[in-house]
Amino acid sequence: MSTVTPLLSVQRVTYRYPDASGDALRDVSLEIRPGEFHAVLGPNGSGKTTLIRVALGLEAPAAGTAEIAGRAAAAWSRRDLARIVGVVAQREDNLFPQQVRETVLLGRYPHLSLWGAERPVDRDAVTRALERCDALGLADRWIWTLSGGEYQRVRLARALAQEPSLLVLDEPTASLDVRHEMELFELVRVLVDGGGLAVLMITHHVNLAARFADRVLLLAGGQTAAQGTPRSVLSRETVERVFAWPVAIESFDGHPQMIPLRQPKEPA
Amino acid sequence: MEIGRFPTVLESIDAAVSVTAFATGDLLFAIGAGDQVVGRTTWCRYPAAALRVPAVGDGLSPNVEAIAARHPDLVVLYRSQMNETAAEQLARLGIPTVTLAQDRLEDIAEAARELGRVSGHKAAGDSIGAAIDALLQRPPPAPLVRVTFVVWDNPPMVIGSGSYLDQLATLAGGSNVFHDLAAASATVSIETIVARNPDVILVLSDSTAPPAYSARREWRAIRAVREGRFIMLPADLFGRPSPTAPAAVAALRHSLEAEARK
Amino acid sequence: MKRWLGLGALVALALVSAVALGPAHVALSDLPSSAIVRSLRVPRALLALLVGGSLGVAGASLQALVRNPLADPFLLGLSGGAGLGAVLAIALHVAGPWALPLAAFTGALGAMALVYRLGLVGGAQLDPRVLLLAGVAVGAFSGAITTAIVSLAEAADLRNAFLWLWGGLSGASWDTVLVMAVYIPVPLVVLYAAARPLDLLALGEEPATHLGADVEPLKRRVYIAASMLTAAAVAVSGVIGFVGLIVPHITRLVWGHRHRALLPAAFLGGGALLLFADTAARVSVAPRELPVGIVTALVGVPLFAVLLRRWGARG
Repeated sequence: MSTVTPLLSVQRVTYRYPDASGDALRDVSLEIRPGEFHAVLGPNGSGKTTLIRVALGLEAPAAGTAEIAGRAAAAWSRRDLARIVGVVAQREDNLFPQQVRETVLLGRYPHLSLWGAERPVDRDAVTRALERCDALGLADRWIWTLSGGEYQRVRLARALAQEPSLLVLDEPTASLDVRHEMELFELVRVLVDGGGLAVLMITHHVNLAARFADRVLLLAGGQTAAQGTPRSVLSRETVERVFAWPVAIESFDGHPQMIPLRQPKEPA
Repeated sequence: MEIGRFPTVLESIDAAVSVTAFATGDLLFAIGAGDQVVGRTTWCRYPAAALRVPAVGDGLSPNVEAIAARHPDLVVLYRSQMNETAAEQLARLGIPTVTLAQDRLEDIAEAARELGRVSGHKAAGDSIGAAIDALLQRPPPAPLVRVTFVVWDNPPMVIGSGSYLDQLATLAGGSNVFHDLAAASATVSIETIVARNPDVILVLSDSTAPPAYSARREWRAIRAVREGRFIMLPADLFGRPSPTAPAAVAALRHSLEAEARK
Repeated sequence: MKRWLGLGALVALALVSAVALGPAHVALSDLPSSAIVRSLRVPRALLALLVGGSLGVAGASLQALVRNPLADPFLLGLSGGAGLGAVLAIALHVAGPWALPLAAFTGALGAMALVYRLGLVGGAQLDPRVLLLAGVAVGAFSGAITTAIVSLAEAADLRNAFLWLWGGLSGASWDTVLVMAVYIPVPLVVLYAAARPLDLLALGEEPATHLGADVEPLKRRVYIAASMLTAAAVAVSGVIGFVGLIVPHITRLVWGHRHRALLPAAFLGGGALLLFADTAARVSVAPRELPVGIVTALVGVPLFAVLLRRWGARG
């Protein structure tokens, strides 16, 4: 067991939204250390995004603790937290037209002083971030001219420009096609292996998570259905129970892959 | 019968409603038709006797029902866009209505004569008309003093030649520095007033205290303000064009002569 | 750099023309010694600069806050509150040369507080869309009360109060300039400090939070500071529309969206625009004077139409 302080540590948290009838999260735990790629899976409404919000101190849990780098998540100032954790949220609605470099530069905010101007070190960080995301060629493009895949890479670059230790991605491949999905997962793997980054990714893509992630947390109804390596988590019984659909589990490249089975309805 | 024109068929009226904010109220009283007035605007307060007449609303947007309820033989309205509509509505109810212009003194002379005729006080009406005509026909005296009327300060508003006030000033020996403006009133810059340099500022006010703006720094760029040369014009004589015009001119002349001696 | 020089030159030109031109003819050689220039034109020009600048900055900030490029400082109900305050002051015969501006200011602040309270949803969070709606509602409501008071009142004074609300710099004096000059630096500094977080807010509240912005306090600060600037502008010069709406857009065309450049540019641009508009208001129909709010609308509306076309084309 590693003695390095986990970057993110959620211990037995329970959370209920105001006026809700049930818990959004119950007794969920998660630890992420540098160099680890964690995926959070589960059906809609299983509490994946809620877990992120509690882990980052945006919501206070009714029970349990949430810590970032050994300190209570809620005790961090937003700015200090942004130097450790870079988040690519599910949705972004950029109001004003910008060029790619400008939007990635926004990621340097946590490192800038209140009155000081942007420094060469900031511009270098932007360039490096764009390089790592294979987006340097897009640097001078206007963001509205980008394709979905390109825009996602730019958002990732912005998060990397924060120079975080932990990257949190909320459904980053939601509207991407096969090629861009694969490119993104490969890119994340490279960032983890090459840069020592820790990554927490919420995704619907069970099979890609199984192939790329080191550890998987499978949530159902706010509770932990299974947690561990992809192979240990993705058993047929578990997957069928959680997703309420018959599946077959095949092995590909040493990783379990989920294949949903057909269930034709009887003619009425 | 045409709306807006004095009805020629109407020989005499027993009941009239005056719905103008201005002279008609006291015009009707001045010609002796006070007993025949059965309705007035809330703003008609002169003469004091008018207060005993029931009010039927303010003169800006006439309350047609309240007017009709008084069963008038004639309704007198101030000439304006809004009142044209009211006049038509009253005509549809079969009530004779007339609208009067009341911006300048000659309008009062005309109104006095016509109202006198229809209310059965022809002699009184003609006499008032004649007095005002005489006033207007007198050659104006040589201007004694340069004046301006300031009716509002923010934005600064002055009186031009379209207003009866300009006429009163001219007849009293005052030269309105804004006589070249055709409108009854207009907004100007303070610096224009400074440049035209009136000797005296005329203020419509019943109090003797100088107006509030005279303490403000930017207004004190005007010489007359710095020197405190204000003439206060009480509302009963100067508030609107009325049969008291000759008395108003005389009072103003008196004040201007006093200023000229300073 | 060239852009700033150009803007500076524009402001200088605006100031010079405001001082040299006017309905009263003052020869160039007499300018420094003329009483008209010293006690009327110079303070008026400075006030135009300060008011126009305040409106430009308030407009840019509010557009970022409510994430709507069509926002104008007067959309938040402040003008309605100011008008109501002014009318009440006149109706109650409150005395003193500062009565009207103070009453308008108080009315504007009251409206601001009410709109803020209405804009709070779920306890402590300010929802910009609700803010806009609340602003329109409060503005309409106070406008209705004001109209009711004025139509029931007998004095012509109250109707003239509406003329004041139309907007004008005729109340300018060294005293007014001093008050504005002392008052506006604080809200301006608060907004400038919020410039970078406002850039983040353009991405959305959630992304802004994750990038390190404290979104709730930010929204509060920006709303209050922008409203304070607008309230002061209304108090000294009535409602001058379009400046707060148009100037941010024009400056965005040249300086882009980064608020650290945009806000100062909007201040200078707003000042220059109002200076030119006021000069036109004083000179174009001399000896009469147009309400400056009319001039800004006459200039602003076609300009805005042109901008809309460019914006629409951008998609």
